[in-house]
Amino acid sequence: METKQEHKNTVGARLSNESFLTLFMIGVLVVLFGAACAVVPNFYLPQNMLNLITNNWFIIILGIGVTFLLISGNFDMSVGGVIALTGVLSAYFCQGANVSQNALANGLGLPYGVAVALALLCALGIGAINAFFIARLKVPSIIVTLGTMMLARGIGQVITRGAQRNTSLPDVFGVVGNIAIRGTSIKISVVIMVVLVIAAFIFERMTVPGRRTYLIGANAEAARLSGITVGRHLTFLYLTSALLAGITGILLASEFKAGVSSRAMGYEFDALVVSLLGGVSIAGGFGSVLGMFVGAVILSVVTTSATGLLLSPDWQFTLKGIVTFIAILAQRFALDRRKG
Amino acid sequence: MKLTDNVLEIRDLVKDFPSVRAVNNVSFDIKRNSVHCLVGENGAGKSTLIKILTGAYARSGGKILLNGKEYSPHSTKDAKDKGISTLFQELNVVDQLTVAENLTLGMEDTTFGFLRKTDKINKMVSVMNSLEPSIRPRQLVSSLSVAKKQIVEIAKAVATESDIIIMDEPTAAISESEIARLFKIVKGLRERNVTVIYISHRLDEIFELGDYVTVMRDGKHIDTKPVAEIQDRSELIRMMIGKTVFEAYTPKKDPSQETILQVRNLSNHKLNDISFEVKKGEIAGFYGLVGAGKTELARAIYGVDEYEGEILFKGQKLHPSPNKVIEAGIALVPEERRSQGLFTILTIRGNVPVMNMGKVSRHGFINAAQERQVTLEYIEKLRIATNSTEKEVIKLSGGNQQKVVFSKCLFADADLLMLDEPTRGIDVGAKSEIYGIIRRLAEEGKSILIFSSELPEIMNICDRIHLLYDGNLKASLTNGYDIDSEKIIHIVTGGA
Repeated sequence: METKQEHKNTVGARLSNESFLTLFMIGVLVVLFGAACAVVPNFYLPQNMLNLITNNWFIIILGIGVTFLLISGNFDMSVGGVIALTGVLSAYFCQGANVSQNALANGLGLPYGVAVALALLCALGIGAINAFFIARLKVPSIIVTLGTMMLARGIGQVITRGAQRNTSLPDVFGVVGNIAIRGTSIKISVVIMVVLVIAAFIFERMTVPGRRTYLIGANAEAARLSGITVGRHLTFLYLTSALLAGITGILLASEFKAGVSSRAMGYEFDALVVSLLGGVSIAGGFGSVLGMFVGAVILSVVTTSATGLLLSPDWQFTLKGIVTFIAILAQRFALDRRKG
Repeated sequence: MKLTDNVLEIRDLVKDFPSVRAVNNVSFDIKRNSVHCLVGENGAGKSTLIKILTGAYARSGGKILLNGKEYSPHSTKDAKDKGISTLFQELNVVDQLTVAENLTLGMEDTTFGFLRKTDKINKMVSVMNSLEPSIRPRQLVSSLSVAKKQIVEIAKAVATESDIIIMDEPTAAISESEIARLFKIVKGLRERNVTVIYISHRLDEIFELGDYVTVMRDGKHIDTKPVAEIQDRSELIRMMIGKTVFEAYTPKKDPSQETILQVRNLSNHKLNDISFEVKKGEIAGFYGLVGAGKTELARAIYGVDEYEGEILFKGQKLHPSPNKVIEAGIALVPEERRSQGLFTILTIRGNVPVMNMGKVSRHGFINAAQERQVTLEYIEKLRIATNSTEKEVIKLSGGNQQKVVFSKCLFADADLLMLDEPTRGIDVGAKSEIYGIIRRLAEEGKSILIFSSELPEIMNICDRIHLLYDGNLKASLTNGYDIDSEKIIHIVTGGA
């Protein structure tokens, strides 16, 4: 009876390490934000605060897929390439057919909706290639997705002859990426990002497949022996990640009304960095989407205040590097302190 | 230099952790050139004591004298330099290097950072040759069995003139014949001026090997005695846990006639034409040496490894894939609990329900309250020592970890449980609890397959005993008063 009482009292009392780290990183964010408000002119303005989140919607959407894959113990470096590919394809598919002497102005002349659907299907194709090599043939994910990263961007370059496709596009092409909620400057893309983050949060915390992701990352062999179909789940995660990157590619192409083959260079690293900043373990089994979101805002605060302080943009990479190091050291320190 | 009679003297040793005193005023001596056994349940404090001796932990108080001199190592390497080497369960050899390279690893002679061949290696190799001539110096360590890797480590310790070699459960993962060879070497170490501190859960080994035995319980030193003065196992067990737990097998009164599992002509890369049946409520044991095919048989039935032949469960052919096998009503407690059974970085709550998430979820959404309730139920039912469902499994002791694996499999609602080495590396108390659980399950009508390389375990709880040798099922016996353990040993070692 006594032991029962003891269990009851302590159940749930202990914060999980994930929640602890997310809270810790929120603390880091508040401190950084306070510092930025103090030294950077106009940083405290509401519009600027809003921009911190809205200017990064694409990294956050990518971060969702990348975070879940990291939790499962796998990388996805192909997301930047998929953005370029889907952007270029969506443009190519709905450019008018035989309208110009210029090959880059001629497309397939499909309706926009069909063009988008086909482009997303191609994104899923890249995800399927990832899944086949990683889940079926057990090739390390970093190798496979570096391959598909170049493959996807390479196809984009072939279709755009190394440049972009921005002529003879129907007007509808430029709508979805540019319209904002009435009366505000918040774009549809940002709304989509928020919806996806909430959906990902629910998936992670409350569903069986969400739990499966952690189990596979914590111990793939034990997961298999516990009856989890590991390959099937990884396939699902890679397809999801590719689809999210594809959606991002469509939205970005629409925003600029062009399919650009060099779009989203290095975004795969940004997505990785915000996940790690948010406390996701590179070894798998640990992390959260909420943490990734906080990580993205931290990175945004730092880069924005650098710009506000009139630091030359050349310093952006160095600054990102330093922030990443400090944040990850801080996390290690906090987690080690907690163990005792 | 005159050598003291005692190679090691431990005086009032104390080690405090934030919430517990793991070693509590322990004092005893270890005689030079003896085999000194250290026994106690998990949590008795022997691991902590060893970690202090090897420099992994700093003591909180007390004194240790090595050869009469104050000894306080600050790392494993420092301990080694001062004369105490350790044979850890996780062996400290590098698979990709040769035996000779391993022997000199960390003490290579170099010129400007380049390796130089010197006499050191010859000395090492000659020591190893004298211990075990069949190991060749140019052989890759990855080609050696676990037992031979241990011998390489022992050779290294002997050649570097260690005063003491600590052996932590060296027989846990090696076969009977290899154990015999290891024992011969350990006994021979006395003549080489080496003292052995020997830790094992297999009590028979202590009687065979030990000169002295120290018993610890709850962090305290209970007694140190010459082994010759101890009457039998049960006296030792009484000292360890304060009560007798050894129970002998009692045959079942009315065994069920209903067949639940039929295995017909099962063959694969390791197994050769194996056929047997298991009845409802029966505890069937598979006994054989390491490499006889026990784990392979379990993995084939579970659908992990490919096979030819037929397996019928409740009259239905089993689809060879773990998720289908679990759905059909079979669960496996795997051989390696950390790498195959548990999600050690997750909490107990994260582990217990994984094999049957459908039971704690609806339309794919997890019912957190129900999940916690179920976890609490199993914590109480199997008496898992924890103060919270939210404790990470890695922080539990071996016995409690194994109970979490059991909880996982029981929650799967299986009618047939396969247990591969269910009590490996677990202390005596937790062992007898696990046997209790197994018996209770069989009484509830569940069928159990036990795959074990410990004969007492098989003879204590199994109704039927199947003997494996080199992938073949050699004999199937019904357990009873007249069962002959010598005959069993004869069969599993290859006798006709």
